[in-house]
Amino acid sequence: MAEQHPSYEQARQRLIEVVQLLESGSVPLSTAMELWQEGEALARSCQEWLDGARSRIEETREGIGESPAE
Amino acid sequence: MPPLSSSPEQPQPLRAVLAATKGWVERLGSVWVSGQLIELKRRSGGVTHFLTLRDPLAEVSVQVTASTQVLDAAGPIAEGMEVVALVRPTVWSRNGSLSFECSDLRASGEGRLLAAIEQRKRMLQAEGLFDRQLKKPLPFLPAAIGLITGQDSAAERDVLEVATDRWPGVRFVTRYAVMQGQGCVEQVRDALAALDREASVDVIVIARGGGSVQDLLPFSDESLVRAVFACRTPVVSAIGHEPDTPILDLVADVRAATPTDAAKRVVPDAADERQRVRQAGTRVRDAMLRLLDREAHGLQAMRSRPVLADPTGALDVHATQLRDLRARATRAAAARVREEAGWVSHTISRVRALSPQATLQRGYAILSGSDGAAVESIAAVAEGDDLLAMIADGTLHARVTHVQRRKETDG
Repeated sequence: MAEQHPSYEQARQRLIEVVQLLESGSVPLSTAMELWQEGEALARSCQEWLDGARSRIEETREGIGESPAE
Repeated sequence: MPPLSSSPEQPQPLRAVLAATKGWVERLGSVWVSGQLIELKRRSGGVTHFLTLRDPLAEVSVQVTASTQVLDAAGPIAEGMEVVALVRPTVWSRNGSLSFECSDLRASGEGRLLAAIEQRKRMLQAEGLFDRQLKKPLPFLPAAIGLITGQDSAAERDVLEVATDRWPGVRFVTRYAVMQGQGCVEQVRDALAALDREASVDVIVIARGGGSVQDLLPFSDESLVRAVFACRTPVVSAIGHEPDTPILDLVADVRAATPTDAAKRVVPDAADERQRVRQAGTRVRDAMLRLLDREAHGLQAMRSRPVLADPTGALDVHATQLRDLRARATRAAAARVREEAGWVSHTISRVRALSPQATLQRGYAILSGSDGAAVESIAAVAEGDDLLAMIADGTLHARVTHVQRRKETDG
Protein backbone atom coordinates (compact mmCIF):
# COMPACT_ATOMS: atom_id res chain seq x y z
CA MET A 1 0.00 0.00 0.00
CA ALA A 2 2.69 2.51 0.93
CA GLU A 3 4.98 3.81 -1.82
CA GLN A 4 8.72 3.60 -1.52
CA HIS A 5 9.20 7.33 -1.24
CA PRO A 6 6.19 9.23 0.06
CA SER A 7 5.87 12.72 -1.31
CA TYR A 8 6.44 15.70 1.00
CA GLU A 9 2.68 16.16 1.29
CA GLN A 10 2.11 12.50 2.14
CA ALA A 11 4.84 12.53 4.82
CA ARG A 12 3.49 15.77 6.28
CA GLN A 13 -0.05 14.47 6.37
CA ARG A 14 1.02 11.23 8.11
CA LEU A 15 3.11 13.22 10.61
CA ILE A 16 0.04 15.24 11.59
CA GLU A 17 -1.96 12.03 12.03
CA VAL A 18 0.76 10.47 14.20
CA VAL A 19 0.95 13.53 16.47
CA GLN A 20 -2.82 13.59 16.84
CA LEU A 21 -2.92 9.88 17.77
CA LEU A 22 -0.15 10.25 20.33
CA GLU A 23 -1.75 13.35 21.85
CA SER A 24 -5.13 11.64 22.16
CA GLY A 25 -3.57 9.18 24.62
CA SER A 26 -5.86 6.46 23.38
CA VAL A 27 -3.20 4.17 21.94
CA PRO A 28 -1.69 1.31 23.87
CA LEU A 29 1.90 1.85 25.02
CA SER A 30 3.53 -0.57 22.60
CA THR A 31 1.74 1.09 19.66
CA ALA A 32 2.71 4.49 21.07
CA MET A 33 6.39 3.59 20.86
CA GLU A 34 6.04 2.54 17.24
CA LEU A 35 4.14 5.69 16.42
CA TRP A 36 6.76 7.84 18.05
CA GLN A 37 9.51 6.26 15.97
CA GLU A 38 7.47 6.72 12.83
CA GLY A 39 6.86 10.37 13.76
CA GLU A 40 10.56 11.01 14.21
CA ALA A 41 11.35 9.46 10.85
CA LEU A 42 8.65 11.48 9.08
CA ALA A 43 9.78 14.75 10.68
CA ARG A 44 13.37 14.09 9.59
CA SER A 45 12.19 13.29 6.10
CA CYS A 46 10.18 16.51 5.79
CA GLN A 47 13.03 18.61 7.11
CA GLU A 48 15.46 17.11 4.60
CA TRP A 49 13.06 17.78 1.75
CA LEU A 50 12.56 21.43 2.79
CA ASP A 51 16.27 22.02 3.29
CA GLY A 52 17.02 20.42 -0.08
CA ALA A 53 14.46 22.58 -1.88
CA ARG A 54 15.76 25.74 -0.25
CA SER A 55 19.38 25.07 -1.18
CA ARG A 56 18.44 24.26 -4.81
CA ILE A 57 16.77 27.66 -5.08
CA GLU A 58 19.66 29.47 -3.41
CA GLU A 59 22.08 27.77 -5.81
CA THR A 60 20.04 28.88 -8.82
CA ARG A 61 20.03 32.41 -7.53
CA GLU A 62 23.75 32.44 -7.01
CA GLY A 63 24.20 30.93 -10.44
CA ILE A 64 22.41 33.79 -12.15
CA GLY A 65 23.77 36.44 -9.82
CA GLU A 66 20.46 37.39 -8.34
CA SER A 67 20.42 39.19 -5.00
CA PRO A 68 18.35 37.69 -2.14
CA ALA A 69 14.86 39.08 -1.67
CA GLU A 70 14.08 41.49 1.13
CA MET B 1 -20.55 100.46 -75.64
CA PRO B 2 -19.71 104.03 -76.49
CA PRO B 3 -17.93 105.99 -73.76
CA LEU B 4 -20.11 108.33 -71.76
CA SER B 5 -19.39 111.89 -72.57
CA SER B 6 -19.10 114.21 -69.67
CA SER B 7 -17.51 117.42 -68.49
CA PRO B 8 -17.50 119.49 -65.40
CA GLU B 9 -20.18 121.66 -67.02
CA GLN B 10 -22.19 118.70 -68.30
CA PRO B 11 -21.81 115.89 -65.74
CA GLN B 12 -23.61 112.56 -66.00
CA PRO B 13 -26.01 111.71 -63.21
CA LEU B 14 -24.65 109.11 -60.74
CA ARG B 15 -27.34 106.60 -61.57
CA ALA B 16 -26.32 106.62 -65.18
CA VAL B 17 -22.70 105.94 -64.30
CA LEU B 18 -23.70 103.15 -62.00
CA ALA B 19 -25.95 101.66 -64.61
CA ALA B 20 -23.19 101.84 -67.16
CA THR B 21 -20.73 100.21 -64.80
CA LYS B 22 -23.24 97.46 -64.07
CA GLY B 23 -23.69 96.89 -67.77
CA TRP B 24 -19.93 96.63 -68.36
CA VAL B 25 -19.30 94.31 -65.50
CA GLU B 26 -22.24 92.04 -66.04
CA ARG B 27 -21.30 91.59 -69.69
CA LEU B 28 -18.65 89.17 -68.47
CA GLY B 29 -21.44 86.69 -67.76
CA SER B 30 -20.91 83.37 -66.06
CA VAL B 31 -17.37 82.09 -65.92
CA TRP B 32 -15.97 78.85 -64.53
CA VAL B 33 -13.23 79.64 -62.10
CA SER B 34 -10.87 77.38 -60.18
CA GLY B 35 -9.68 78.28 -56.74
CA GLN B 36 -9.27 77.16 -53.19
CA LEU B 37 -12.25 77.28 -50.88
CA ILE B 38 -10.79 78.95 -47.85
CA GLU B 39 -13.97 79.90 -46.04
CA LEU B 40 -17.44 78.43 -46.07
CA LYS B 41 -20.05 80.20 -44.01
CA ARG B 42 -23.15 78.12 -44.16
CA ARG B 43 -25.96 79.75 -42.21
CA SER B 44 -28.66 77.33 -41.12
CA GLY B 45 -32.08 78.52 -42.09
CA GLY B 46 -30.55 81.04 -44.44
CA VAL B 47 -31.09 81.29 -48.14
CA THR B 48 -27.82 82.84 -49.16
CA HIS B 49 -24.45 81.62 -47.91
CA PHE B 50 -21.00 83.08 -48.26
CA LEU B 51 -17.83 81.48 -49.50
CA THR B 52 -14.38 82.86 -49.93
CA LEU B 53 -12.40 81.67 -52.92
CA ARG B 54 -8.70 82.21 -53.21
CA ASP B 55 -6.23 82.08 -56.06
CA PRO B 56 -3.19 80.58 -54.32
CA LEU B 57 -0.72 81.79 -56.95
CA ALA B 58 -1.69 85.43 -56.97
CA GLU B 59 -2.84 85.89 -53.38
CA VAL B 60 -6.20 87.09 -54.66
CA SER B 61 -9.36 86.19 -52.81
CA VAL B 62 -12.96 87.15 -53.27
CA GLN B 63 -16.27 86.62 -51.51
CA VAL B 64 -18.83 84.55 -53.36
CA THR B 65 -22.49 84.00 -52.60
CA ALA B 66 -24.28 80.70 -53.13
CA SER B 67 -27.77 79.47 -52.46
CA THR B 68 -28.58 76.43 -50.29
CA GLN B 69 -29.45 74.53 -53.45
CA VAL B 70 -26.06 75.20 -55.02
CA LEU B 71 -24.22 74.14 -51.85
CA ASP B 72 -26.23 70.93 -51.50
CA ALA B 73 -25.64 70.05 -55.12
CA ALA B 74 -21.88 70.58 -54.69
CA GLY B 75 -21.32 67.23 -52.94
CA PRO B 76 -18.87 66.74 -50.10
CA ILE B 77 -16.80 69.91 -49.92
CA ALA B 78 -14.78 71.34 -47.13
CA GLU B 79 -12.62 74.32 -46.40
CA GLY B 80 -9.17 73.98 -47.91
CA MET B 81 -10.41 72.00 -50.88
CA GLU B 82 -9.71 72.83 -54.52
CA VAL B 83 -12.97 73.71 -56.26
CA VAL B 84 -14.38 74.92 -59.53
CA ALA B 85 -17.27 77.36 -59.46
CA LEU B 86 -19.46 78.94 -62.05
CA VAL B 87 -19.57 82.60 -61.00
CA ARG B 88 -21.15 85.71 -62.34
CA PRO B 89 -20.12 89.21 -61.28
CA THR B 90 -22.95 91.48 -60.25
CA VAL B 91 -22.99 95.15 -59.40
CA TRP B 92 -25.62 96.40 -57.10
CA SER B 93 -27.03 99.44 -58.81
CA ARG B 94 -28.01 101.11 -55.58
CA ASN B 95 -24.45 101.40 -54.21
CA GLY B 96 -22.07 100.02 -56.78
CA SER B 97 -20.85 97.14 -54.65
CA LEU B 98 -19.46 94.23 -56.54
CA SER B 99 -20.22 90.65 -55.68
CA PHE B 100 -19.92 87.28 -57.33
CA GLU B 101 -22.83 84.90 -57.50
CA CYS B 102 -22.10 81.18 -57.69
CA SER B 103 -24.62 79.06 -59.50
CA ASP B 104 -22.63 75.82 -59.57
CA LEU B 105 -19.94 74.58 -57.23
CA ARG B 106 -17.94 71.38 -57.46
CA ALA B 107 -14.85 69.83 -55.92
CA SER B 108 -12.04 69.68 -58.41
CA GLY B 109 -8.77 67.94 -58.90
CA GLU B 110 -7.59 66.72 -55.54
CA GLY B 111 -10.83 67.82 -54.00
CA ARG B 112 -12.77 65.59 -56.34
CA LEU B 113 -10.46 62.75 -55.54
CA LEU B 114 -10.92 63.21 -51.84
CA ALA B 115 -14.67 63.43 -52.26
CA ALA B 116 -14.72 60.19 -54.22
CA ILE B 117 -12.61 58.48 -51.58
CA GLU B 118 -14.94 59.75 -48.88
CA GLN B 119 -17.93 58.30 -50.70
CA ARG B 120 -16.22 54.94 -51.19
CA LYS B 121 -15.24 54.91 -47.55
CA ARG B 122 -18.86 55.32 -46.48
CA MET B 123 -20.05 52.58 -48.82
CA LEU B 124 -17.48 50.08 -47.57
CA GLN B 125 -18.16 51.00 -43.98
CA ALA B 126 -21.84 50.32 -44.50
CA GLU B 127 -20.90 46.89 -45.83
CA GLY B 128 -19.05 46.23 -42.57
CA LEU B 129 -15.51 45.95 -43.93
CA PHE B 130 -14.11 48.09 -41.11
CA ASP B 131 -15.90 46.32 -38.20
CA ARG B 132 -13.78 46.11 -35.01
CA GLN B 133 -14.80 42.49 -34.33
CA LEU B 134 -13.56 41.34 -37.71
CA LYS B 135 -10.03 42.57 -37.02
CA LYS B 136 -7.58 39.75 -36.38
CA PRO B 137 -5.07 39.98 -33.51
CA LEU B 138 -1.39 40.07 -34.41
CA PRO B 139 0.80 37.12 -33.34
CA PHE B 140 3.09 37.88 -30.41
CA LEU B 141 6.16 36.51 -32.16
CA PRO B 142 5.62 35.75 -35.86
CA ALA B 143 7.52 32.92 -37.53
CA ALA B 144 8.01 35.20 -40.52
CA ILE B 145 6.80 38.69 -41.43
CA GLY B 146 5.52 39.37 -44.94
CA LEU B 147 6.58 42.80 -46.22
CA ILE B 148 5.13 44.59 -49.25
CA THR B 149 7.13 47.69 -50.04
CA GLY B 150 9.08 49.57 -52.68
CA GLN B 151 12.49 48.16 -53.55
CA ASP B 152 15.32 50.03 -51.77
CA SER B 153 12.78 52.37 -50.24
CA ALA B 154 13.23 54.24 -46.96
CA ALA B 155 10.13 52.40 -45.76
CA GLU B 156 11.80 49.02 -46.33
CA ARG B 157 14.93 50.16 -44.50
CA ASP B 158 12.97 51.52 -41.56
CA VAL B 159 10.89 48.39 -41.08
CA LEU B 160 13.86 46.02 -41.39
CA GLU B 161 16.18 48.03 -39.13
CA VAL B 162 13.71 48.66 -36.32
CA ALA B 163 12.39 45.08 -36.32
CA THR B 164 15.84 43.49 -36.35
CA ASP B 165 16.96 45.80 -33.57
CA ARG B 166 14.07 44.71 -31.39
CA TRP B 167 14.24 41.01 -32.18
CA PRO B 168 17.50 40.00 -33.84
CA GLY B 169 16.21 36.62 -35.03
CA VAL B 170 13.29 38.08 -37.01
CA ARG B 171 12.66 36.67 -40.49
CA PHE B 172 11.16 38.68 -43.34
CA VAL B 173 9.62 37.49 -46.61
CA THR B 174 9.67 40.59 -48.83
CA ARG B 175 7.71 41.16 -52.03
CA TYR B 176 8.58 44.33 -53.88
CA ALA B 177 5.89 46.36 -55.63
CA VAL B 178 5.62 49.74 -57.24
CA MET B 179 4.03 51.78 -54.47
CA GLN B 180 2.26 54.49 -56.47
CA GLY B 181 0.75 55.23 -59.84
CA GLN B 182 0.30 52.79 -62.66
CA GLY B 183 0.38 49.09 -61.73
CA CYS B 184 0.56 49.71 -57.98
CA VAL B 185 -2.83 48.24 -57.16
CA GLU B 186 -2.25 45.04 -59.17
CA GLN B 187 1.30 44.49 -57.87
CA VAL B 188 0.32 45.03 -54.23
CA ARG B 189 -2.67 42.71 -54.66
CA ASP B 190 -0.49 39.98 -56.19
CA ALA B 191 2.12 40.36 -53.45
CA LEU B 192 -0.62 40.14 -50.84
CA ALA B 193 -2.02 36.93 -52.33
CA ALA B 194 1.44 35.33 -52.52
CA LEU B 195 2.29 36.20 -48.90
CA ASP B 196 -1.12 35.07 -47.67
CA ARG B 197 -0.51 31.65 -49.28
CA GLU B 198 2.92 31.39 -47.61
CA ALA B 199 2.35 29.24 -44.49
CA SER B 200 5.21 30.62 -42.39
CA VAL B 201 4.11 34.24 -42.82
CA ASP B 202 2.05 35.09 -39.74
CA VAL B 203 1.58 38.81 -40.41
CA ILE B 204 1.80 41.06 -43.48
CA VAL B 205 3.00 44.66 -43.44
CA ILE B 206 2.24 47.05 -46.33
CA ALA B 207 4.61 50.00 -46.00
CA ARG B 208 5.38 53.13 -47.91
CA GLY B 209 6.46 56.62 -46.95
CA GLY B 210 4.59 59.89 -47.18
CA GLY B 211 3.22 61.34 -50.42
CA SER B 212 0.54 63.42 -52.03
CA VAL B 213 -3.10 62.45 -52.24
CA GLN B 214 -2.39 61.31 -55.79
CA ASP B 215 0.53 59.11 -54.64
CA LEU B 216 -1.49 57.43 -51.92
CA LEU B 217 -4.55 56.99 -54.14
CA PRO B 218 -3.95 53.30 -54.93
CA PHE B 219 -4.29 52.52 -51.20
CA SER B 220 -7.86 53.66 -51.33
CA ASP B 221 -8.58 51.49 -54.37
CA GLU B 222 -11.69 49.38 -53.84
CA SER B 223 -10.25 46.12 -55.21
CA LEU B 224 -7.14 46.41 -53.04
CA VAL B 225 -9.21 47.18 -49.96
CA ARG B 226 -11.43 44.16 -50.59
CA ALA B 227 -8.36 41.98 -51.14
CA VAL B 228 -7.01 43.01 -47.73
CA PHE B 229 -10.40 42.32 -46.15
CA ALA B 230 -10.40 38.81 -47.63
CA CYS B 231 -6.83 38.10 -46.56
CA ARG B 232 -6.54 35.29 -43.97
CA THR B 233 -3.25 36.59 -42.54
CA PRO B 234 -3.46 39.72 -40.37
CA VAL B 235 -2.45 42.87 -42.27
CA VAL B 236 -0.72 45.95 -40.89
CA SER B 237 -1.15 49.16 -42.87
CA ALA B 238 1.80 51.57 -42.67
CA ILE B 239 1.07 54.06 -45.40
CA GLY B 240 2.36 57.61 -45.36
CA HIS B 241 2.58 59.74 -42.25
CA GLU B 242 0.33 60.38 -39.27
CA PRO B 243 -2.30 62.65 -40.90
CA ASP B 244 -2.74 60.47 -44.03
CA THR B 245 -5.66 58.04 -43.88
CA PRO B 246 -6.12 56.02 -47.04
CA ILE B 247 -8.94 53.46 -46.88
CA LEU B 248 -6.34 50.70 -46.38
CA ASP B 249 -5.81 52.07 -42.87
CA LEU B 250 -9.43 51.39 -42.02
CA VAL B 251 -9.72 47.87 -43.42
CA ALA B 252 -6.33 46.65 -42.10
CA ASP B 253 -6.23 44.70 -38.85
CA VAL B 254 -3.79 47.21 -37.38
CA ARG B 255 -2.99 50.72 -38.55
CA ALA B 256 0.54 51.93 -37.97
CA ALA B 257 1.30 55.64 -38.26
CA THR B 258 4.62 55.00 -40.00
CA PRO B 259 6.75 52.06 -41.21
CA THR B 260 8.81 52.39 -37.98
CA ASP B 261 5.64 52.15 -35.91
CA ALA B 262 4.66 48.99 -37.82
CA ALA B 263 8.00 47.35 -36.97
CA LYS B 264 7.36 48.04 -33.28
CA ARG B 265 3.93 46.44 -33.43
CA VAL B 266 4.85 43.20 -35.17
CA VAL B 267 7.80 42.05 -33.06
CA PRO B 268 8.32 42.21 -29.32
CA ASP B 269 11.37 43.93 -27.90
CA ALA B 270 13.86 41.23 -26.91
CA ALA B 271 15.42 43.34 -24.15
CA ASP B 272 11.99 44.00 -22.60
CA GLU B 273 11.07 40.34 -22.77
CA ARG B 274 14.35 39.23 -21.16
CA GLN B 275 13.70 41.74 -18.38
CA ARG B 276 10.18 40.44 -17.85
CA VAL B 277 11.33 36.82 -17.78
CA ARG B 278 14.05 37.71 -15.25
CA GLN B 279 11.51 39.47 -13.07
CA ALA B 280 9.12 36.57 -13.32
CA GLY B 281 11.91 34.22 -12.29
CA THR B 282 12.74 36.38 -9.27
CA ARG B 283 9.12 36.53 -8.21
CA VAL B 284 8.75 32.77 -8.53
CA ARG B 285 11.87 32.14 -6.47
CA ASP B 286 10.77 34.64 -3.81
CA ALA B 287 7.35 33.05 -3.61
CA MET B 288 8.89 29.59 -3.32
CA LEU B 289 11.19 30.66 -0.50
CA ARG B 290 8.28 32.21 1.37
CA LEU B 291 6.34 28.99 0.96
CA LEU B 292 9.28 26.94 2.20
CA ASP B 293 9.61 29.26 5.21
CA ARG B 294 5.98 28.71 6.14
CA GLU B 295 6.31 24.97 5.81
CA ALA B 296 9.53 24.95 7.83
CA HIS B 297 7.84 26.88 10.63
CA GLY B 298 4.92 24.48 10.59
CA LEU B 299 7.25 21.53 10.76
CA GLN B 300 9.17 23.10 13.63
CA ALA B 301 5.94 23.61 15.55
CA MET B 302 5.01 19.99 14.94
CA ARG B 303 8.37 18.75 16.13
CA SER B 304 8.30 20.78 19.33
CA ARG B 305 5.07 19.23 20.52
CA PRO B 306 5.65 17.20 23.66
CA VAL B 307 4.67 13.85 22.19
CA LEU B 308 7.57 14.10 19.76
CA ALA B 309 9.99 16.35 21.63
CA ASP B 310 9.74 14.54 24.95
CA PRO B 311 8.09 11.16 24.47
CA THR B 312 9.28 10.04 27.93
CA GLY B 313 6.25 11.84 29.32
CA ALA B 314 4.02 8.95 28.31
CA LEU B 315 6.54 6.50 29.64
CA ASP B 316 6.71 8.35 32.99
CA VAL B 317 3.00 7.89 33.43
CA HIS B 318 3.31 4.18 32.89
CA ALA B 319 6.37 3.94 35.14
CA THR B 320 4.51 5.72 37.91
CA GLN B 321 1.53 3.42 37.50
CA LEU B 322 3.84 0.44 37.59
CA ARG B 323 5.52 1.69 40.80
CA ASP B 324 2.16 2.18 42.40
CA LEU B 325 1.03 -1.28 41.42
CA ARG B 326 4.19 -2.87 42.81
CA ALA B 327 3.83 -0.97 46.04
CA ARG B 328 0.26 -2.05 46.39
CA ALA B 329 1.13 -5.62 45.55
CA THR B 330 3.94 -5.60 48.11
CA ARG B 331 1.75 -4.11 50.79
CA ALA B 332 -0.96 -6.58 50.06
CA ALA B 333 1.47 -9.49 50.23
CA ALA B 334 2.97 -8.28 53.49
CA ALA B 335 -0.45 -7.90 54.98
CA ARG B 336 -1.41 -11.43 54.04
CA VAL B 337 1.81 -12.84 55.49
CA ARG B 338 1.23 -11.01 58.73
CA GLU B 339 -2.27 -12.37 58.83
CA GLU B 340 -1.11 -15.93 58.31
CA ALA B 341 1.72 -15.57 60.84
CA GLY B 342 -0.79 -14.41 63.40
CA TRP B 343 -3.02 -17.37 62.79
CA VAL B 344 -0.13 -19.79 62.92
CA SER B 345 1.07 -18.36 66.18
CA HIS B 346 -2.41 -18.51 67.65
CA THR B 347 -2.90 -22.05 66.50
CA ILE B 348 0.41 -23.18 67.96
CA SER B 349 -0.70 -21.90 71.34
CA ARG B 350 -3.92 -23.84 71.14
CA VAL B 351 -2.11 -26.95 70.05
CA ARG B 352 0.35 -26.58 72.84
CA ALA B 353 -2.44 -26.20 75.27
CA LEU B 354 -3.94 -29.49 74.08
CA SER B 355 -0.65 -31.35 74.27
CA PRO B 356 -0.25 -34.22 77.00
CA GLN B 357 3.27 -33.09 77.78
CA ALA B 358 2.09 -30.93 80.66
CA THR B 359 0.20 -33.92 82.11
CA LEU B 360 3.22 -36.12 81.79
CA GLN B 361 5.31 -33.53 83.54
CA ARG B 362 2.95 -33.75 86.47
CA GLY B 363 4.05 -37.45 86.95
CA TYR B 364 1.57 -39.29 84.87
CA ALA B 365 2.62 -41.94 82.38
CA ILE B 366 1.03 -43.15 79.17
CA LEU B 367 1.00 -46.93 79.05
CA SER B 368 0.89 -48.70 75.75
CA GLY B 369 1.10 -52.33 74.83
CA SER B 370 3.60 -53.84 72.46
CA ASP B 371 1.14 -53.18 69.65
CA GLY B 372 1.49 -49.54 70.45
CA ALA B 373 -2.13 -49.10 71.51
CA ALA B 374 -2.67 -47.18 74.71
CA VAL B 375 -3.74 -49.21 77.76
CA GLU B 376 -6.93 -47.68 79.07
CA SER B 377 -8.32 -50.61 80.95
CA ILE B 378 -7.07 -53.49 83.14
CA ALA B 379 -8.90 -55.75 80.79
CA ALA B 380 -6.34 -55.05 78.10
CA VAL B 381 -3.48 -56.49 80.16
CA ALA B 382 -2.52 -59.69 81.89
CA GLU B 383 0.14 -60.50 84.39
CA GLY B 384 3.42 -60.91 82.72
CA ASP B 385 2.66 -58.62 79.65
CA ASP B 386 5.41 -56.27 78.49
CA LEU B 387 4.31 -52.66 78.48
CA LEU B 388 5.82 -49.36 77.36
CA ALA B 389 5.45 -46.51 79.79
CA MET B 390 5.92 -43.07 78.29
CA ILE B 391 6.80 -40.54 80.94
CA ALA B 392 7.81 -36.88 80.63
CA ASP B 393 11.41 -37.38 79.74
CA GLY B 394 11.51 -40.84 78.21
CA THR B 395 10.06 -44.32 77.81
CA LEU B 396 10.20 -47.28 80.31
CA HIS B 397 9.91 -50.92 79.41
CA ALA B 398 7.81 -52.52 82.19
CA ARG B 399 6.26 -55.87 83.03
CA VAL B 400 2.88 -56.35 84.66
CA THR B 401 3.42 -58.05 87.94
CA HIS B 402 -0.01 -57.65 89.43
CA VAL B 403 -3.39 -56.29 88.32
CA GLN B 404 -5.70 -54.67 90.83
CA ARG B 405 -9.15 -53.33 89.95
CA ARG B 406 -10.00 -49.93 91.29
CA LYS B 407 -12.95 -49.88 93.70
CA GLU B 408 -15.43 -47.08 93.27
CA THR B 409 -14.92 -45.87 96.68
CA ASP B 410 -11.18 -45.37 96.17
CA GLY B 411 -10.21 -41.82 95.44
